[in-house]
Amino acid sequence: MTTRREFLKISAAVGGGLTVGFHVPFAAAQQQVLTPEINAWVLVRPDDRVIIRYARSEMGQGSMTSAAQLVAEELGCDWKKVQVEYADTNAQVRRKRVWGDMASVGSRTIRFSQEYLRKGGAQAREMLVAAAAQGWRVKPSQCRVANGVISGPGGRKTTFGKVATAAAKMTPPQEVALKDPKDWTIAGKPIPRIEIPDIVTARIRYGIDAHLPGMAYAAIAQCPVFGGKVKSVDAAAIQGRRGILKVLPLGDYVAVVADNWWRAKEALKALPIDWDFGPNASVSSETIKQLLRAGLDADSDVVVAKNAGDVAQALKGAPVIEAEYYTPYLAHVTMEPMGCAALVKEGRVDIWTSTQNAEASHAAAAATAGVPLENVYVHRTQLGGGFGRRGGAQDFVRQGVQIAKAMEGTPVKMLWTREEDMQHDFYRPVSMVRFRAALGADGNPVALYSRVSAPSIIATLLKLPLKDGIDPQAVAAIADQPYQIANVRMEYAQRNPPVPVGFWRTVGHSQNPFMRESFIDELAHAAGKDAYAYRRALLPESSRERRILDATAKAAGWGSPLPKGVHRGIAVTEGYGSYTSAVCELSVSDKQEVSIRRLVLGVDPGHAVNPDNILAQMQGSAVFMLTAMFWGEITIKDGRVEQSNFNDHRVMRLAEMPKVELVLAPTGGFWGGIGEPGQASIAPAVCNALFAATGKRIRALPLRNEGFELA
Amino acid sequence: MKRRGFLSGVVVLPVAGRVGKAFAQTEPKRGRVKLELPVLADNGNSVPMKVRVESPMSEADHVKSIRLLSERNPEREMAVFHLGPRAGAAEISTRVRLAGSQVVTAIAEMSDGSQWMDSAHVQVTLSACVDGS
Amino acid sequence: MVARIRVPQDAKRGDVIRIAVLVQHPMETGYRLDADGKKVPKNVIRSLVCRYNGVEVFRAQLSPGIAANPFLEFPTIAAESGELEFTWVDDAGVRGSAKQAIAVA
Repeated sequence: MTTRREFLKISAAVGGGLTVGFHVPFAAAQQQVLTPEINAWVLVRPDDRVIIRYARSEMGQGSMTSAAQLVAEELGCDWKKVQVEYADTNAQVRRKRVWGDMASVGSRTIRFSQEYLRKGGAQAREMLVAAAAQGWRVKPSQCRVANGVISGPGGRKTTFGKVATAAAKMTPPQEVALKDPKDWTIAGKPIPRIEIPDIVTARIRYGIDAHLPGMAYAAIAQCPVFGGKVKSVDAAAIQGRRGILKVLPLGDYVAVVADNWWRAKEALKALPIDWDFGPNASVSSETIKQLLRAGLDADSDVVVAKNAGDVAQALKGAPVIEAEYYTPYLAHVTMEPMGCAALVKEGRVDIWTSTQNAEASHAAAAATAGVPLENVYVHRTQLGGGFGRRGGAQDFVRQGVQIAKAMEGTPVKMLWTREEDMQHDFYRPVSMVRFRAALGADGNPVALYSRVSAPSIIATLLKLPLKDGIDPQAVAAIADQPYQIANVRMEYAQRNPPVPVGFWRTVGHSQNPFMRESFIDELAHAAGKDAYAYRRALLPESSRERRILDATAKAAGWGSPLPKGVHRGIAVTEGYGSYTSAVCELSVSDKQEVSIRRLVLGVDPGHAVNPDNILAQMQGSAVFMLTAMFWGEITIKDGRVEQSNFNDHRVMRLAEMPKVELVLAPTGGFWGGIGEPGQASIAPAVCNALFAATGKRIRALPLRNEGFELA
Repeated sequence: MKRRGFLSGVVVLPVAGRVGKAFAQTEPKRGRVKLELPVLADNGNSVPMKVRVESPMSEADHVKSIRLLSERNPEREMAVFHLGPRAGAAEISTRVRLAGSQVVTAIAEMSDGSQWMDSAHVQVTLSACVDGS
Repeated sequence: MVARIRVPQDAKRGDVIRIAVLVQHPMETGYRLDADGKKVPKNVIRSLVCRYNGVEVFRAQLSPGIAANPFLEFPTIAAESGELEFTWVDDAGVRGSAKQAIAVA
């Protein structure tokens, strides 16, 4: 059995010097003897180094650093002495979930945990001060804290490290006061992400980097047709190939285990597998579109998500503007494909994996191995991309543990190929939406009807009941649209093709704002009004949507003259508690090549914990969404995904990336997310600009299918 | 494997409506009941549960019924188990199905009409994506 | 419907013993979707009774909150040798039953 110290030594040798105590959680056990835990969130070393615990995940969204900033702010420590350590899931189980939620999903790490993180920091500070005050026999109220130094009356001074042991024994205060964000000195600052030096010097470890002595490797193949199963394999056909340890047919997938991954993968390619393809072998993108279209027209199996006024009446006798929109399935395509290394030995399970929810991985590992929760250890790392793929679905953990169980006592690293990853995703759902609207004499809409025909992630992936049959993700931004319209009716037809669906970055807000904001633009055009002014008039005066729309339009210089051939588009939406708006300036050549001249992205996240990270998230959102808009689609033929690798799945290149201008306008008083909302307004702003430039209304994505290419 | 109630020391009634009549006369007191559920569940489909009630289970003093209540399932009343002096002890094991992370509550009604309760929180990790959002 | 009943082999008169029953039943919640994406109707065992030589010793009212293939373990006093009989009925009105002999020393 590999001890934690052995792993640490080996990793250090391989990596040429790993940063101790940070993303190598094995050091925790050693540290505990020397490092008193003030509370679950804060440990202080005798040398004044502060270890802040982080419960959730880091996949490049910057939450680990922002969360630590919030704790450090209240703690009053020296930021230069801060290290971050993952909260251990085994300790989480034994300590009755003392760290609360561990999922980095839904853009909510900061907004859902900020209160208890700040309280944790404040509580630890008060205990440190109480310890110093007790030692000096003075009142805590006579002491001050700055940069990890506690000052008392009469010029007395001490540091956190010197009183840590005593502080750990203090009774935690029940109530603590939190700082006003306007007094922030650490939070609110554009501090570089903690792990950047490790990323740049290749010291950072991802799940894929797990390495243990005596480790075996597994390649897997799932049935190419959705819902199929393994009938049989002809293991004799790969008999005698070098390094092959085991061939495992495991229900709906086959694993080949070897002494290196290349050998496992090549053997798997040569292994004859007899598949029972199941009932979905004739499903195609066409049959899926037919199913969704039938949902748009259906009289049954439809639920009403919103009904105000009398839309049917208001649409009578008025010219009706009608449009149908379509968005395709999308794959996550994380840079690091799915994988999990695992060791099952003598009733204990250790896993090494990139996960967005370490608790979910822990529970999945326990359930798969059939061991108590207390016997599982999750060694987590930075993620090479998550985007929602690695949260709810823990398929890669189940596979890793299943294979390791069959190889009891031998650590096994299971990795998917890029093809496997692209073809066995939980895709952003396909969606079809029909809109109907009527305008009043003043050109404003008096009635808006919409029906979404789309799969439900909650019903199919999570298998949870839907309240009133509505999947809030499927109807997001349409059922809760912000425009003041007297008669509104919104319907949802849940239609589930057999393609697995899941949470793709920004989920329902990755597609519905495109549809809604494009349709509002159609109404503005029909009314002969300016796209910005039209929206502005329909938004409540005090609404945050209107404020961010104004700020973004102003920064973009909406209304000012543009060079010949350059056109603008605008959009605004709410999502994940934040408010975003976008203005795009572009030109289109005779050959339908699109040059994006400017992309102005506005966001109001309430409070801005790290402005530099917010810029990075908005830039990253632009890359992700522009890639999706121009080329992104997953097509189905004969029950299989047609795309496989980057040769047939185009992504944006560095040289193609337009400059992003950020309008950061936090209005305070609430906490909004930042990992996902940035994407929401981009597609409609670009497509509305395309309409202004060409007169062609984009009602389906990707743009490549509509004849447009990036210049 | 013991699991203390998530809200230990505080009597909170997480359910209302249809099962409100269970509390008609007296509010259940925390104690005498021990509800055991794992702190994490992978998907909520089949979560092992054990409930025990301290009771002599005599003719004069026994547990009449144990009611299991869900905070979030579409049907809040998950089960009612009827015992009596023939039981000899008051301890039921079963497997429950949970529609998402939630507090489960067990309420024991005694032969003297008194009611006792315990509760436990189960984190259903699959549903974390939508919990609280 | 198939059911398995577990009864201790070495019960002595007056002992508190544990009886377990596992009934094969899907306990459909009513929100599961079938292969065509349509909802499978709700159907769960609602009531299950155990009689020990004809006398009711355990009764359970169940719901979709009890997992598929309901498993129940409960105590009873080993009063006498004889037979345990389980009966149950589900939402569709389908009845089931299973018997198991019990030997008490």
